[in-house]
Amino acid sequence: MNEVTSTHSNGTAPAKAYHRRAAAPSVDVFENADELLIVADVPGVPNDGIDLQVQNDTLTLTARRPQPSESPALVREYEETDFVATFRIPAGIDTAAIAAETKNGTLVVRLPKAAAAKARKIVVRPRSGD
Amino acid sequence: MLTGWKDFDDTLRTLDRLQRRAGLVLEPFEPFGSRERVRLRARAPWPATNVFETKESFVVKAEVPGLAEGDVSVSVEEDALVIRGERKAVVPEGYRIHLRERAPGAFTRKLPLPARVDADAVSATLSHGVLTVTLPKAREALPRQIAVKVG
Repeated sequence: MNEVTSTHSNGTAPAKAYHRRAAAPSVDVFENADELLIVADVPGVPNDGIDLQVQNDTLTLTARRPQPSESPALVREYEETDFVATFRIPAGIDTAAIAAETKNGTLVVRLPKAAAAKARKIVVRPRSGD
Repeated sequence: MLTGWKDFDDTLRTLDRLQRRAGLVLEPFEPFGSRERVRLRARAPWPATNVFETKESFVVKAEVPGLAEGDVSVSVEEDALVIRGERKAVVPEGYRIHLRERAPGAFTRKLPLPARVDADAVSATLSHGVLTVTLPKAREALPRQIAVKVG
């Protein structure tokens, strides 16, 4: 797995307009007691083509494909566009600890829950005498 | 020529498109507010494939994100390139599913070849979830220069 560096900013500056053609990647979202897990298909994107930005409660994923330099296609079922997706980060996520890695053309983003947001296990004890 | 590349499962795809439209109409009426939203993408041919032609070869590119080398096999069978593989369901254990768009499953795609290729010289690479198969044309399929003699 290759680690991806993400950029954090808390300013209110609007995201830069995106001028390249882009499509939304296919995405899985999972959750357990400790974290949210986003898995996105970004085929053809090398590790350094991925940019993750956290701004307030928004996570923006941009995955840039190298420009294709192919001869004309006989068959074209997919365009080699970039991938762009935004996610709203729910409350209780430790945004400073968001980490990501790429593997075989997929991007895995881990959003750990802040300690306070983790479900506390309440031990239920029988009342004496029951 | 190009018609040779028409995929075999055109009919299936048309059916699928219809089904997909019907699904779009029905979706808002789904009575169960299921917390686990499972939204598998319609079964468009997977993996999506592009085919390029150069002077000496055909180059097939297929998007197979999540597949490692062992998950995909490539072969030339009669007059077709066959790509087989499986994308395994990777729901990590103990996790709840919020959204599921990355459909798992086994696949076979059979792409008729528009010209004879040198099956022994076919090569394939997998990089960042893109499979690239290079199929050199057979000698008899290469363009030949015909000398024009003065009569």
